[in-house]
Amino acid sequence: MARNTLADLPDETLLVLYANGDPDAARLLMTRLLPRVLGYATRILGDRAEAEDVAQEAMLRLWRVAPDWQAGEAQVTTWLYRVATNLCSDRRRSGRRRPSVPLDDAPEVADVAMGAEAGLIAADRRTALERALTSLPERQRQAVVLRHIEGLTNPQIASVMDIGVEAVESLTARGKRSLAMALAGMKQALGYEGDET
Amino acid sequence: MTQAYDDLELDALLAGLRQSGPQPSAALQARVIADAISAQPRQAPVIAHRPARRSAFRALADLFGGEGALAGMGLAAAAGVFIGISQPAPVAALTQALAGGGPLDSLELLPTSDEFWTED
Repeated sequence: MARNTLADLPDETLLVLYANGDPDAARLLMTRLLPRVLGYATRILGDRAEAEDVAQEAMLRLWRVAPDWQAGEAQVTTWLYRVATNLCSDRRRSGRRRPSVPLDDAPEVADVAMGAEAGLIAADRRTALERALTSLPERQRQAVVLRHIEGLTNPQIASVMDIGVEAVESLTARGKRSLAMALAGMKQALGYEGDET
Repeated sequence: MTQAYDDLELDALLAGLRQSGPQPSAALQARVIADAISAQPRQAPVIAHRPARRSAFRALADLFGGEGALAGMGLAAAAGVFIGISQPAPVAALTQALAGGGPLDSLELLPTSDEFWTED
C-alpha cells in the first residue's frame, strides 16, 4: 500500500497491517507513537536513558500483541500509555535504575522563533517546570502529564491508570496545586507561556 | 509579595511542554524498528504448485487406456511366455506340424472333452 495512503489510516488499522506483514506499517506506527511514549516515560522517570529503555520495551510489547489485537477493545495509544505506566512503576519499585542522565542533558528543541533572551527564559521555565513535575508524587505526576501534556481525556487516563474518573480528577487537581506551590515565587522571573509577545 | 501561577497559567505552561518533548534518537528508532521486524509475524511462504512427476508406469498405462488395460495386457503376455516355455502337448504337436514335422491328422485341444459328450 502506498505510504501516503497508509498515513491516513488509524493506529489500529496500521497495527493489523503490521500483523499481516506490511513492512511500512511498523515504521509509520513508530513515527507516530515512539515520541509520545518516550516523552511520557521521560517525564515520569525523570531520566532519558531509563525512558528510552521503557519506550523500546513498550513498543516491543505492542509489536508482540499485534497478531492478537482485538479491534475496538482499546485504543492503541491508551494501551501503550498503560504499558509504559506499568513499566515505569516497575522500574521505580525495583530500583532497577541506570546511572542517571538528567533531563537538562537531553537535547532541547531550539527556540528558533524567539529572540535569544526570550528563548532563554522559555528554556528556564521549561526546566523549572520539568523539575517541579519530577518532585510530584508518582500518581499525581502520571495524571498531570497524561492530562495536560499528553492531552488524554479523564476517561482515557482512568483506563491507563486503572482507576475511576473521579480519582483521576482528584489526582490532577492535587498535582496542579503541588506544582503551583513548587513554582511559587518564580512567576516574576520566568513569566508564563503566553507573555513573550 | 509572592506571585503564584493560577490554574489557567499553569495549564498554559504545561501545554507548552508538549512541543518540547524529547525526540527519539536515530539509535533508538533503529532498535525499535529492528524489534518490529523480528517480532513481525511471517507469512507462510507461497509454494508454487508443481505437477507431480509422471512415472513410466503411469505413462505406459495412459498409452494403453488405463491401468486395467495394461494389467490385462501384462497377464496375456505372461501367459504367452508361459505357454511358449512349458510347451503343452497339443501346442507342441501343432508347432511340430507347422514346422514340417509331418502331417497333422488330428489335434485334440481338449483331449478329455469326449467324456462330456458321450451318453451312457
